[in-house]
Amino acid sequence: MRKLLAAAAVLGALGVAPLASAHHSFAMFDRTRTATISGTVREFQWTNPHAYIQVTVREGNRDVEYSLEMGAPMYLYARGWRPRTLRPGMQVAVDYNPLRNGSPGGVVLDVRNAQGQPVGTNRE
Amino acid sequence: MMRAAIAVGLLAAAFAVPAPALAEHHDEVDARNEAFAALPYWPGYWVSEDQAGTTITGLAPAATASSGSSFSVNIMSLRGDNAPWNEEGQRRRADVRARAGGRKATGWGYPMMMNSATPLRYLITPEETIIINFYNEARYIYTDGRPMPAEEDMWPTTYGTSIGRWEGDTLVIETVMVEDPSAFFHGSPPFSEEARYVERIRLDGDRLINEVTVTDPVTLTGPWTVTIAHVRDPGFDRQIILPWDNDRTGNEDGLNTIELAPVE
Repeated sequence: MRKLLAAAAVLGALGVAPLASAHHSFAMFDRTRTATISGTVREFQWTNPHAYIQVTVREGNRDVEYSLEMGAPMYLYARGWRPRTLRPGMQVAVDYNPLRNGSPGGVVLDVRNAQGQPVGTNRE
Repeated sequence: MMRAAIAVGLLAAAFAVPAPALAEHHDEVDARNEAFAALPYWPGYWVSEDQAGTTITGLAPAATASSGSSFSVNIMSLRGDNAPWNEEGQRRRADVRARAGGRKATGWGYPMMMNSATPLRYLITPEETIIINFYNEARYIYTDGRPMPAEEDMWPTTYGTSIGRWEGDTLVIETVMVEDPSAFFHGSPPFSEEARYVERIRLDGDRLINEVTVTDPVTLTGPWTVTIAHVRDPGFDRQIILPWDNDRTGNEDGLNTIELAPVE
């Protein structure tokens, strides 16, 4: 098992091996860290192989756009999401694992609407 | 009135089927209905067992349970990490890995579509079984007794050429002329066009079991067999068909990242 984990760690570090259920490695995300942003949905990309939420966040005196990756739309659908679940202009709070390279983005863990209600069912 | 009656009579005569031919037709229909009824029925949306329950994050519980927090173990066994690669096979794998960073894809291709998180459907008829996934990647498995196309009719493609047969409730599929799978999707095994894939698919309780054996004189030292289980993942009730056309996975300094420029 140690050998397997070591091999996976090497491949993960390279960031080139498409592991797990997605089409790429998750090594680009810092899975040890969970961050939360609150902002305005600019666009919900209901696209393959991943969906993305483009969220505009006010940081200091400027707007920063975050690219927040999700699984494939088919799995979002299975977990109660729909193509118009998020619409431009909606206020959302997103929990995510940030990109390791410090760019404004990451992989989505959970999304709440302006009322603080979770969006979708996220699980089965 | 009389003219209309004559016209109707002529039409009826034109379409009249002699009684023996009609009986023969009914016999054919009855035989096909019986053949249909005797076939297995595998309705539903089938997902690789290790990918079941994939969340909105894009990770399956099985992928995260046995891994550390920063990476996931490989659960796509058809990648061939445990296959008996020969020298050429190892060379190809190293080459694919070296070029994988930032490569784009448009789907899984065969054989990886049989082991991905993308649900599969099986549409079974006496003459043909169609296996199709949510990217509209389709395989056409002829089960009408025809042989594999002749050598002069062969041309390598992403999904190969398949024929099948039923051995009881097991669908046996032979597939050849598959283009190097890693040419289509960089996470796929780099088998050669001489590879021959034999799948034995059967229902075992609520699981669909697919035993895949690959022989490839170019990249493997001998036959390689891997068994994949599929289960029905709750939550799917129709095919969500969208093209794979927004691949924003980039690569910077050897590490993957999200390409931040949004697609309008």
